Amino acid sequence: MIAGPVLVLAVLLVAAAAAYLLRRLEALSALLAAGVSALLAVGLWRLPLNRPAIIAGRPVLLGKPVVIDDLSLVITPASRALVVFLLITAAVTFILAWRTYQGRTFYPFGLGLVALWSCVALLQPLLLAPFAVVLAAILSVFLIQAGRPGETRGAWRQLLFPTLSVPLFVIASWYIEQAPLNPDDTTPYRIASWLLIAGFILLLQPAPLHVAIPAVAGQAPPVVAAFLWIGGQAVILFLLQRFLVTYPWLSAAVDSARWLLWLGIFTAVIGGLLTAAQKRLGRMLGYAAVYDYGILIVALGLRGTAGLPTAVWLLLTRTLALLTLATGAAIIRHHMEGDRYEHLTGAISRLPLAVIALIAGGFGLAGMPLTAQFASHWTLLQLVAEDDPRWALLLLLGALGVLVGTVRAGQACFGDLSTSPVARESRSVTVLAALLVVVGVLLGLFPQLLTNPVAAVILPLATLGQ
Amino acid sequence: MSLADLFRQLSILIGLPAVLLACAGAAMIVVARDWRLGLFGYALVSLMLALLLSQLIPTDWALMQAITGGLIAVILFLSARQLRWTPNTGQRWELRWPNLASLTSFRLLALVLAAVSFAVVRGRIAIPGLDPLFRDALLWLLMMSLLGLCLHSEPLHAGLSLLVFVGAVELLLFTLFQRRMLVGLWMGGQVVLGLAIAYLVVARGLAELAPDDSTPEGLNPDGRFFGGQP
Repeated sequence: MIAGPVLVLAVLLVAAAAAYLLRRLEALSALLAAGVSALLAVGLWRLPLNRPAIIAGRPVLLGKPVVIDDLSLVITPASRALVVFLLITAAVTFILAWRTYQGRTFYPFGLGLVALWSCVALLQPLLLAPFAVVLAAILSVFLIQAGRPGETRGAWRQLLFPTLSVPLFVIASWYIEQAPLNPDDTTPYRIASWLLIAGFILLLQPAPLHVAIPAVAGQAPPVVAAFLWIGGQAVILFLLQRFLVTYPWLSAAVDSARWLLWLGIFTAVIGGLLTAAQKRLGRMLGYAAVYDYGILIVALGLRGTAGLPTAVWLLLTRTLALLTLATGAAIIRHHMEGDRYEHLTGAISRLPLAVIALIAGGFGLAGMPLTAQFASHWTLLQLVAEDDPRWALLLLLGALGVLVGTVRAGQACFGDLSTSPVARESRSVTVLAALLVVVGVLLGLFPQLLTNPVAAVILPLATLGQ
Repeated sequence: MSLADLFRQLSILIGLPAVLLACAGAAMIVVARDWRLGLFGYALVSLMLALLLSQLIPTDWALMQAITGGLIAVILFLSARQLRWTPNTGQRWELRWPNLASLTSFRLLALVLAAVSFAVVRGRIAIPGLDPLFRDALLWLLMMSLLGLCLHSEPLHAGLSLLVFVGAVELLLFTLFQRRMLVGLWMGGQVVLGLAIAYLVVARGLAELAPDDSTPEGLNPDGRFFGGQP
């Protein structure tokens, strides 16, 4: 009987090896990576966890754990939801990356990254899961640098904070092991709580530790950067939720909801205001992502039953908005001389769909009407305002910053071409950019289309602590 | 004579001499400008850490730290060496590699201040299960690694500081846990981390080469190996 984790990880790693061997045939490599990710996502979602299924004549039990010494990997309903989300995001990103010139080794390394992120979701004991986060950060160094000599700040910052966080988790696990030996003494739990909080602050990297995000945005190919944020941040927030559910004393020791709310609002305001001040497309994308990340943290920090569904809703819509913005930015960056705003003049005449995608993605991240993010942002603002209207105003200030930043970037693309001739965007790129924009508008008009996907994720997340 | 026997021959160093040498190695990484001195400092820290760890975990497991540190030092040496960096190329100092974020005298001053802070706080910090000598070694190495991370911006010295941080934490982790799986994960993780740092060293170093310096043999700056231009 093949265990589910073995199947998922083996398929991803074999596909990564094949994609690496085929990297010179970029189309084939991209299609292979996207196809395998999509197939795996469908299979994982449809197959039962607790009953054997026959795949290629072999019996497979998805819910069967794999035990190696002290470690085990097991697919639970909640982790399955996350892995399926990662696989679908990867499949879409691979196709976008293929048409937007993101580097041919993105496909194998991207598959490897999904495998490591999946390990974070599947790994037990929970306190060792940050090891997989660090390995993913190490692998992402190669994706961010992408073989280019020069500035290494983005890759370095991506690596630094997760590495510093791991010892805190391991030491916390010792205190947690000691606690039952003397049940009357709460000191071990208190120390473990603070260690875990410090570890999570390093992993979450809210403002002012957000420095990796804009640095990555300035250095990495835009679609790759968006993929790293979407997948990496989803995994970290999932891990945090697992910790909060598994160790209820963690919430009791510190008011985690309040902390998350403050950190999220601060991150969103800083991200939004700095988006407005940027003069480069890449960094504008990065700070807009910081704002959006802050919004997601706020949603996770909301008390009551509405917080988690809103966070999941935001997670889905931000994926679309970030990919739309990154696709527009990637096409413009590739065709124009540089990504400084003064180099973008005239882009609208040669790359109209890319500019539209850029503006639509930016508006989406700001939560403007007629974008997929509008309904989820609006819901979040209402929930936050119930707690304290001033928090909602601060979030609106951040959104205004993203809006101004997007308008400035869009405005820079107008005017007459002043540089050497710029090739027109290819038809396939046009189709992809248009598709992303149309899907965003459709979800903005009919947000109820996301009801079923959100419900499908919420239900397994309710079993997180089991 | 097996490697473990050779390792046991060095047991005379275990204790204060090993701690002092490890601390000196870490300080060398922070202060020294020359990349070779930095690498030597890291190798020294790794070897001394292995000797100290042999007091906490079985010698065979502790030996892994020496092997891991040696492997990383070789990887980083080859990476830096590939760039053919020499101190007297006639280039302006700004163009030379490695670029430094701060001056040697400033780093020395920072080291002195760190030493004063260390002398003040060391008595007030109690770490469960850790011998005072090991506690001092842990505190000093952590201070030095964080100082190195603050003062250096280029990947070699900053990377070595991060590796010292990861190595120093072993003194505490392996006091708390003596599990084979954890030792394996920690050491394996360090090697992978070393590889990533070496990659960044090469990437950064290539950019610092003057335009008339052709690409070193075996390197591929257009990124065909790890992505790069389409």
